[in-house]
Amino acid sequence: MLETLLDGEIIGIITLTLRMTLLSTFIASAIGIPAGLMLERVDFAGKNLVVSVNRTLMASPPVVIGLVVYLLLMRRGPLGFMGLLFTFEAMVIAQVLLLIPIICGMVYTAAGRNAGRIRSFAVTMGANRLQTQFLLVRELSNEIYFAVITGFGRAMSEVGAIMIVGGNIRFHTRTMTTTISLLRNQGEIDQAIFLGAVLMLIALFVTLTTDFLRRREQRTDENF
Amino acid sequence: MKISNLRKSFDNFSLNIDRMETAQNRIYGVVGSNGCGKTTAMKLMAGLMKPDGGSINYDGLGPRDITMIFRKPYLLHDSVIRNLIYPLLVRGIKPDEQLLEHYLEISGLGEYRRQYAPGLSGGQQQKLSLVRAMIFSPKLIFADEAFSNMDIESVAFFENYILDRQKHNPATWVIVSHQLSNIRRLCDYVYFMYNGRVEAEGSTEDMLYRPGSDNLKRYLQFEGIETG
Repeated sequence: MLETLLDGEIIGIITLTLRMTLLSTFIASAIGIPAGLMLERVDFAGKNLVVSVNRTLMASPPVVIGLVVYLLLMRRGPLGFMGLLFTFEAMVIAQVLLLIPIICGMVYTAAGRNAGRIRSFAVTMGANRLQTQFLLVRELSNEIYFAVITGFGRAMSEVGAIMIVGGNIRFHTRTMTTTISLLRNQGEIDQAIFLGAVLMLIALFVTLTTDFLRRREQRTDENF
Repeated sequence: MKISNLRKSFDNFSLNIDRMETAQNRIYGVVGSNGCGKTTAMKLMAGLMKPDGGSINYDGLGPRDITMIFRKPYLLHDSVIRNLIYPLLVRGIKPDEQLLEHYLEISGLGEYRRQYAPGLSGGQQQKLSLVRAMIFSPKLIFADEAFSNMDIESVAFFENYILDRQKHNPATWVIVSHQLSNIRRLCDYVYFMYNGRVEAEGSTEDMLYRPGSDNLKRYLQFEGIETG
């Protein structure tokens, strides 16, 4: 069974899953982290509404996001001319839309608790605006890291949205989670369990690696 | 520093300081009951809060000449030594080993230099925040209950240290404290705040032992000071 599972197709599925997860987590982090920090910093009319909408989106069912992206990208949809439906890019777009509110919301909450004190401290130490921003990100790095890892986990385990916009097409948009779903439907429970275990191991490996890198960075920092 | 007509309002509190002045290199005390506006006044003076009206003239001092020490200090998620050198790093100053040793020694944190600063005890955190505020020799220092978590011995040590430092590396200090012993030992001049206003001011001796205001008399009695 192992030979069958570790054939070229499965390797391709694992690679595609990792590429999609890492890329969507990266893009969503690049947007969500600054957005969360800015949302905490700036006061404007309707801010509470924006925060509430973001919180709602944090818990939105992936299939709904998938459906929205599908409607946008379908041939008769507003972005249909781009021809992205049932492609890798469509899956990344759906994932990014799912992750941004999660990362933004978690960063916003963490910043709301601590950013005021950090900014006050920075001012009293004579830090300029850039140094204050840098300090803010550095001091909130644990919370930011946790938000990114949560986003990564969500992206890794996602089925509904990518099934709708990716179509689970063999050799093209089939990911680990959509394959597990397919195998279960076909009654191939053993293979589904094996693939699920591989998925868990990959998630564990990524988490342990980033944890290790962070600890090493902190130790290096202390060696003043 | 000269303050005139400083105003700040919140939902259920407003601060109105018509006039407050500090002369260079002297130590001022600000006393008053909880909720009278001392911390708000300090934050406004330190530039951490924008006033609704009025002005503060720092007499040529820039943001990097002014600092504030908080009752609950913020410590970086980093080692003691990295916390200590932070104000030097933001100024692009290479930390001097002897200077660091001096401040680590007076704060009693030499053996903790590599330890995670937020893991220190409350008193140690306050000592670290106090020496961190002095390491870059600011000209104007606001200290809000900066000694409140320290043991009596440490408080006495820092009082002596500050008084001694005033002789060769002077700064203007504005100290908020409920421990009137700090005020008595350190301050040249005292402001008494009541209900968001400066109700009385004068030399430490006059304010503590010959108070003119009834509210100040009452406050001193609560704090255990017998007035004449």
